[in-house]
Amino acid sequence: MSNPDPPAASADIPAIAATALTRRFGRAWAVRDLTFAVPPRSVLLVVGPNGSGKTTLLRLLATALRPTSGKATVFGHDVVAHAEMVRAQVAFVSATPGVYDSLTARENLQFAAAMCGRRFEPMTLWLERVGLAGLGEHPVRTFSQGMKRRLALARAWLAVPSVLILDEPYNGLDAEGVRLVHTMVTETTQRGGCAVVATQEWERGRRIADGVLVLSGGRLADHAPAAHFAAHILTMAGSHP
Amino acid sequence: MTTIDRVAAVTSKELLLEWRGRQTATAMGMVALLVILFLGVVLGSEPARAPAVLWVAMGFATVLGIPRLTQAEVEQQALETLLLYPGSREHIYWGKFLALVVMLTALLAFLWALVGVLFNIPIWTHLPALIGIGVLGVIGLAAIGTLLAGVVLHVRARELLMPLLLLPLALPVVLGCVRLTEAALAGRGEGMWLVVLGVFGLTALLVCPILFEVVMEEP
Repeated sequence: MSNPDPPAASADIPAIAATALTRRFGRAWAVRDLTFAVPPRSVLLVVGPNGSGKTTLLRLLATALRPTSGKATVFGHDVVAHAEMVRAQVAFVSATPGVYDSLTARENLQFAAAMCGRRFEPMTLWLERVGLAGLGEHPVRTFSQGMKRRLALARAWLAVPSVLILDEPYNGLDAEGVRLVHTMVTETTQRGGCAVVATQEWERGRRIADGVLVLSGGRLADHAPAAHFAAHILTMAGSHP
Repeated sequence: MTTIDRVAAVTSKELLLEWRGRQTATAMGMVALLVILFLGVVLGSEPARAPAVLWVAMGFATVLGIPRLTQAEVEQQALETLLLYPGSREHIYWGKFLALVVMLTALLAFLWALVGVLFNIPIWTHLPALIGIGVLGVIGLAAIGTLLAGVVLHVRARELLMPLLLLPLALPVVLGCVRLTEAALAGRGEGMWLVVLGVFGLTALLVCPILFEVVMEEP
């Protein structure tokens, strides 16, 4: 997470590559045989109906889950064999903010910064960037869901990740919050990194997407450049259970 | 430097959460107090009983306190975020271990003061020896306790499971501390138990962080 110089400069290595990536929970297949690549400096939008495997895919890429079979790499590092190296490059913001309610906003960020080896980061600046200026000393339990999400975004942002993985980032965010997400994603790609964004909100996500991955029942229904992505494919994916 | 930063960050976060909530300290203190008072009444307040009463109370208080070591992560769904920070997960172990050491040390100091008064023991006379025994006991309990906090993390009835796991594992620590404290209060040496406690603590400190990484891995 604390990698200021992403290895994205090497154009030969895909930022993310998955080969037959599969994850099973008991007898249920969450994702199955996913093969795709995400080049550096690009944004992959992952779409699909509920239960299609979006979150599982993101958690596999972030090393929160181990694949049942297949493999995935992040800038050439295997997510299982080199999980620590992958974690050093990835920032994952899950659908739940995962912030400590009893700590203040500043304390939450200070903790995250120390864990990322960036304890000298100016927290006031990060709080300002996510629209929480002046709220640094407030306990997070007094925050709304949207404010907690902004704080979670700041936590990921200050890590200066090479790969940004966002699960339903628009949940609970107002228009300004959505702009914030897009700024964060754009900054990451401009640094040579990439972003993977899973969302139900296609209209919002398409504004930043370079490629779209459609999942249906854990399988890859389509993978296409965003510009060529036809709306009927989404409709088709949505019609699957 | 980053390792120290991460360990210090986890420790200070745990202590700050505890300071704000005071749930663990209150629960551990109350259980220890009740055990001491109960055993004091049942067994009598002869000074010779004090070491056993004190360390049994410490054992039960630790059982109660350990599951709370990961409670913030469970309640606020922050575990995944914590585990996905860069670096080794041993840092998380060491941070939580140090926080538990601080809490258990504070509890032990409080209990010694209480036991000293109730059992009429001249603590100050034996202070260096009691501190040494306390350090070994607290390290032993905290080393195993932090590992078990990770083991029972996803178990729904973790408060029930904890005594079953901790008490057998902590038996050498509790027994050793009782024997050493008895010897210290009687003014004699007890080399064997010192070696047992020392070896146990060292082994636990070497093995538990590695096992913690394993149990925190997603299956």
